[in-house]
Amino acid sequence: MVEAIAMAHGWEMQHDERVVVLGQDVGANGGVFRATLGLQQRFGGDRVQDTPLAEAAIAGMAVGMAAQGLRPVAEIQFMGFLYPALDQIVNHMSRLRYRTRGRLSCPVVVRMPHGGGIHAPEHHSESVETMLCHVPGLRVVCPSSPARAYGLLLAAIRDPDPVMFLEPARLYRAVRQDVEDDGRALPLDTAFTLREGGDVTIVTWGAMTAETLRAADELAGRGIDAEVIDLATLSPIDTETILASVGRTGRLVVVHEAARNVGLGAEIAALVAEHALYDLLAPIRRVTGYDTVMPLYRLEMDYIPGVERIVAAAERTMADSR
Amino acid sequence: MTTFRLPDLGEGLAEAEIVEWHVRVGDRVEVDQPLVSVETAKAVVEIPAPYAGTVSALHGAPGEILATGAALIEFEGGATVVGSMPPTSPDELIEHARPGRDPGEPRHGADSRRVRALPAARALAQRLGLDLGSLHGSGHEGQITIEDVLAAAPLQQATTPPATPAPAGHAQELAEPLRGARRTMAQSMTAARDEVALSTVFEDADIDLWLDSGAVMARLMRAIVAGCRAEPALNAWYDPRTSSRTVHPQVDLAVAVDTADGLLVPVIRDVGGKTAAQLAAELDALKSAAHARRLSPEQLRGYTIMLSNFGTVAGRYATPQVVPPAVAILGAGRTRRAAVPGAEAVAVHRVLPLSLSFDHRCVTGGEACRFLAAAIADLQSPE
Amino acid sequence: MRTVAEFRVEYSQLLGPDGDAVGDLPPFARDVEELVRMYRMMTLARSFDVKAVNLQRTGQLGTYAPCLGHEATHVGVGAAMRAEDVLAPVYREVGTQLWRGVTMREILVYWGGDERGSDFAVPRGDFPWCIPIATQTLHAAGAAMAFKIRRERRCAVAYIGDGGTSEGDFYEAVNVAGARALPVVFVVVNNGWAISVPLCAQTAAKTLAQKAIAAGIPGVQVDGNDVFAVRQAVSSALEAARDGRGPALVEAITYRLSDHTTADDAGRYRQAAEVERAWRIEPLLRTRRFLEKAGLWDEDRERALLADCAREVEQAVAAYLSFPKPEPGAMFDHLFERAPAHLAAQRVMATRRADRAGGH
Repeated sequence: MVEAIAMAHGWEMQHDERVVVLGQDVGANGGVFRATLGLQQRFGGDRVQDTPLAEAAIAGMAVGMAAQGLRPVAEIQFMGFLYPALDQIVNHMSRLRYRTRGRLSCPVVVRMPHGGGIHAPEHHSESVETMLCHVPGLRVVCPSSPARAYGLLLAAIRDPDPVMFLEPARLYRAVRQDVEDDGRALPLDTAFTLREGGDVTIVTWGAMTAETLRAADELAGRGIDAEVIDLATLSPIDTETILASVGRTGRLVVVHEAARNVGLGAEIAALVAEHALYDLLAPIRRVTGYDTVMPLYRLEMDYIPGVERIVAAAERTMADSR
Repeated sequence: MTTFRLPDLGEGLAEAEIVEWHVRVGDRVEVDQPLVSVETAKAVVEIPAPYAGTVSALHGAPGEILATGAALIEFEGGATVVGSMPPTSPDELIEHARPGRDPGEPRHGADSRRVRALPAARALAQRLGLDLGSLHGSGHEGQITIEDVLAAAPLQQATTPPATPAPAGHAQELAEPLRGARRTMAQSMTAARDEVALSTVFEDADIDLWLDSGAVMARLMRAIVAGCRAEPALNAWYDPRTSSRTVHPQVDLAVAVDTADGLLVPVIRDVGGKTAAQLAAELDALKSAAHARRLSPEQLRGYTIMLSNFGTVAGRYATPQVVPPAVAILGAGRTRRAAVPGAEAVAVHRVLPLSLSFDHRCVTGGEACRFLAAAIADLQSPE
Repeated sequence: MRTVAEFRVEYSQLLGPDGDAVGDLPPFARDVEELVRMYRMMTLARSFDVKAVNLQRTGQLGTYAPCLGHEATHVGVGAAMRAEDVLAPVYREVGTQLWRGVTMREILVYWGGDERGSDFAVPRGDFPWCIPIATQTLHAAGAAMAFKIRRERRCAVAYIGDGGTSEGDFYEAVNVAGARALPVVFVVVNNGWAISVPLCAQTAAKTLAQKAIAAGIPGVQVDGNDVFAVRQAVSSALEAARDGRGPALVEAITYRLSDHTTADDAGRYRQAAEVERAWRIEPLLRTRRFLEKAGLWDEDRERALLADCAREVEQAVAAYLSFPKPEPGAMFDHLFERAPAHLAAQRVMATRRADRAGGH
């Protein structure tokens, strides 16, 4: 996946000279995950800039650069280091267009690794997408395959407004796929149905799509036909795709790595309750990380929901409606 | 006259204290000329004239506190009111609409073959063992409502076996949801317990002289009629919302019938106007209907007093629960032989233990005891 | 032990409180029209400021941050900038905005609770007022980065207050500006007070200009009540930046003669005597005295100027007061260029509610 991300950068920088990359170690080093590998050599130090070690500066300067006509793609090295940048993202990036009635705007992409599962040190494995989804004026995207990472990143860079681009760290090198470097973007408002099924809808995103698809295989062996939806764009949510699926299956399970309390799963459950309650055959279930700190890596796979938990939730949902 | 009202001088300040007026009535003031110093919770500020004019009235002496929006100063002529924000209308709440769809439009994607039911209706139907597909939905977009399920319940229950209990495994799964009469009992008894000021008085009736010892129910019904004649206050309804009671001339007696599905309490109308034979026949019919679950709602409504003859099973005394709006219930325990002290010797007589519960909010202890005495007197006659 | 680096902070003043030149005057100080223009703008800023406070006091404007006492700094900076430069203001720099073409009506519309006040007709590239302290310094750095990447001869100017220099964003901004030699000038308006906290409680640094030194960029101190000194210092800093010689920081020492905002009462935390002293060195008077001593100004001209300013302000106020309230749907406009579907639906809802409520 990480090569697909670098490839998308390369395509767009080649075709739009307003696109510049900034972040810590994005230049000669190509990013700590190599998501910007080779870009500085190809496009030069002006367009691929190593910034000082200061997240607020990365986000704040991206605001200034975007307001003056550039299309910055900023990298935050890990999601746990996002917090100093939030002031700039929430107070300015998300609302500069609004505040100036469209006079200035912020076509910025802020990329960052998302989630755990890579045996990283403390603060390197956060999944706090809900914080970002709560902010008006931001789009939040989380791809789950190399092809979707390529297409969605192109769309994010081309979008006229700020996009938070969350890259599942454990998929960076775990998933390999041939991706055509054709510059074709994917829509930023559409969820992807990864597997069709008539019994239960499972909505998930990012790295959890891997566990969820394995759970769906397991469920198939037990006679349960699960439909798996990759939300992909976490804000705004593609309500239509979810409701259409729940309309067919009558059952919903939401799976996410992030903590449960006020997680995005709650929003999805509320949307379905508001718009499709009468289609439901069973209560909505959530399979999520726990409401505790993401543990250091010896326990991280105990925190991240596994196939077993997803299978059990789907089975319980089926049992509830019999 | 133009009224200038005290504006919000800070950020959400509710009031300000007049510190000092800088103008007097009759003064001609220029725009932005200081009018008054006021002190708010945050600051002492000088309020300037919003426009030129002649002062016709000042409101509030130094030290007085004015609410934001109160009249502060009046000028001659004009009609412009500044310094007051337009009032915000209270607004009705609307549910968030979903993009691109009118509320009435059917949802695409939903399986049209699926029965649409309120979740609670779905759960109720499952508990009652009803097939949702056979029900007619009267709700929005044809959804099946709780009422639809309840309407179908008696019809289907005669023919449909109760839902199979879920397999054991968790404690919760062993729990059996209350259904039908038992559920109704749970609700009405809970309400009764929370509402009624229950008092119970106990006494035995000596029925040793009875000629027909098998006619317990008929005698109890007649005794209640006798008690009601002596004390009509127990044959009454009480309405706590209006603190009023309705004393009924006719005794409509609710009789507790124990069935496998729970307690049912059918009503025999005008007990005082019927013969013992009529009462016995009517009681038998009601009992049969209760066990067959064929009682109509009308047969369960409108009682004025209640009777529970639990003694047919076991038990001497009890504290039977008064169920509003009625205010009294007579409980009869198992008849027994008891030592009865006579004038000279102790004799063994058959006695019928009685427990009279009454709602002390509406019935006095005296009334209850006089009722009981009259009932016992009636019970103690040979026939 | 040996000294590896040594630093100095220089202070400049060109015009004393009595209106006498105390140093060599720059060329613009010999341009009569330009001098009058600067004095005129300072006077207009003050007239506007007094009126804005009165509008708030009479319930016709929301909270407002006065600029009283800052006119020399604000006009000096405005006059030093070029039209194509970009300003990142805080929330008090009326004089700079007016100089750059923002109208008084637009400023009132903003403080009157309407985002349209930030949609300046001129200058289109300037940043809007910035309330989260110090964040604007990074926007200026980013703008400067954009100019540098595109090889444009433009500069960014960021304002910041004395309290704002305690914020991390400020340090990050001067640091990155230095590290990348960005064409940006930071103007620290040191008015002595961060709401109620005096500078001595804010930092142990002897000057705020020296904070530039840690970032490796030049930092100078000027008399912020001296419009000549401010303009001169900022002009030369901008010239250097434009020529690719990197950023600079100018600390302008002035005094906030007003409350922090209309929601504040400075009498609670500072001595009247201090304010009294500050009034003796305030910026308008010394500029007027200079002009008078040069034979360029007299009582009649002063009276005419004040009348002109009052009329202009009145016109702006009238235009502001008659500016219609935005439609409720406006709160959904411009959040995104292309609104997501759920926002479009909420917009319809908000509009319908307002219609039912009778048009508020």
